[in-house]
Amino acid sequence: MSALVSILMGGVFHASILFLVAAGLQVVFGVQKVFNLACGSFYALGAYFGVSAVQWYVAAGGPPAFFIVPLIAAGALIGVTGVIVERGLLSFVYERDETFQLLLTFAVVLMMEDAIRLTWGTAPVSTSGLYLVYGQARLAGAAVPVYNLIVIAASLVIALGIGWLLTRTAFGRIIRATADNREMAEALGVDMRRVYAKVFTLGTALGTLGGALVIPATAAMSEMGVELIVEAFAVVVIGGLGSMRGAFVGALVVGILRAVAISVYPELEMLIIYLIVITVLVFRPRGLFGGAAA
Amino acid sequence: MLAVKNVDVYIQASHILRSVSLDVGAREVVCLVGRNGAGKTTTLRTVMGYLRPRAGTITFKGVRVDGRRTHEIARLGVGWAPEDSGIFPDLTVAENIEIATWTRPGGSPAAERLARAYEVFPVLKTYAARKGPEMSGGERKMLSIARALALDPEMLILDEPFEGLSPAIVPVISASIATVTRLGHSILLAESNIHHVPEYADRLYVIERGEVIFAGQPHEAWKDPGVVRVIGGQT
Ligand SMILES: Nc1ncnc2c1ncn2[C@@H]1O[C@H](COP(=O)(O)OP(=O)(O)O)[C@@H](O)[C@H]1O
Ligand SMILES: [Mg+2]
Repeated sequence: MSALVSILMGGVFHASILFLVAAGLQVVFGVQKVFNLACGSFYALGAYFGVSAVQWYVAAGGPPAFFIVPLIAAGALIGVTGVIVERGLLSFVYERDETFQLLLTFAVVLMMEDAIRLTWGTAPVSTSGLYLVYGQARLAGAAVPVYNLIVIAASLVIALGIGWLLTRTAFGRIIRATADNREMAEALGVDMRRVYAKVFTLGTALGTLGGALVIPATAAMSEMGVELIVEAFAVVVIGGLGSMRGAFVGALVVGILRAVAISVYPELEMLIIYLIVITVLVFRPRGLFGGAAA
Repeated sequence: MLAVKNVDVYIQASHILRSVSLDVGAREVVCLVGRNGAGKTTTLRTVMGYLRPRAGTITFKGVRVDGRRTHEIARLGVGWAPEDSGIFPDLTVAENIEIATWTRPGGSPAAERLARAYEVFPVLKTYAARKGPEMSGGERKMLSIARALALDPEMLILDEPFEGLSPAIVPVISASIATVTRLGHSILLAESNIHHVPEYADRLYVIERGEVIFAGQPHEAWKDPGVVRVIGGQT
């Protein structure tokens, strides 16, 4: 029983991180119709930047118990990279073919990987020793790091916040209108350039925040971005492209299955996820929540 | 108010509009009539800034708008109700209408604009919480016009507002458009069926194969042999 809880909670923790990245992917796809492969790179960037921020914080004598403050701040702040990528690169190819946009985001993946190696080196970096600073909680006999529970709660709060933003605020309704019919939104006075810049930045910040939140539990490595793209892809296929609810449910499915697979048969870690992806693609190609923008 | 002068438009390599000119004055109702494929939608979409003319000029309230982006043209005070209504299916009726009050603040207060939109189409009030897919074609057309009204525009551009509607609903929408003109808005309206041209239209342009072949009073159109040849055969 306690082993099962421990596996499940590990899966939910991973799902929380995965949800943030996938939510960023979904909002960008929903509004801009660009499948942003670089979401994984933003995740990696957030992780490295988070490590640096925490190392700097610790070196400056900050109390370890509050390391999460510089971590979250760094993860959210580095999201501004999104504006640069959107205005500086993507904005030039909106009129082009979708394949071209996809290739461009792939170019960003390669560039960011090199930029990260150049800045932080090739060896993994980590915030050693801070993971268990909040101790462990006992859940049905299993020891669960309190930090994991904080991240799960934070991710839930962000999910609710996104829901609130999309359904209750003027900006959210403009986002949904743009996702529905871009030309019509423009005729109602919506400045597409500004909406795209904001949405892409939001999507990027969700990815970088996800990366920052994961690193107390694991080291930052340059391949982490590409690994996550594969998982985020599985999440959106299962959940349905462009859907926030889909990202939520898809992340839970992928996160938990991956955790179960790792503990039962580690070699099958990704295989089981691919199997589900293929099953969904064959029997329900639009995903569980495909077609709904929110 | 709106002046389109000698506009040429190409879509990819095809020459769609040939030296199209038309004017809409303050408080005027102007109809652009032509068969399917004549170039009505292309003309209106060019005014809205979706297409760029290769030659000619478009001015609105004395400001050059050709080459401007669509949202800028909208914010200058041009409301747009497209042929397919362009309802946002994911938003409720109320949310559809509200959008323009956020994107073009200023002018009359939001509450007043919304009140005016519902006043012209009272039936929408009862559907306020419904979403696009739950509406009939006529209700979508109404919502599309009401939403454009909430922008508080000086001019409304309506692309075939009567198209595909049951004969029972056509007079309802026609009467609503008449109400809109009394509120002081200019209207530019495209129509493929000359019998749908409202009797309160001030002026008529007939377009055929991308060229304006007639401009004048509606009753004069019937005396023009070219016009009769093009649209007179329709019932
Ligand atoms: N996207 C497009 N690509 C190619 N040709 C187009 C396109 N849109 C319109 N056309 C052509 O332009 C002409 C005018 O079309 P349109 O303005 O839609 O006519 P109307 O609204 O009067 O029915 C038609 O011959 C149509 O085939
Ligand atoms: Mg048309």
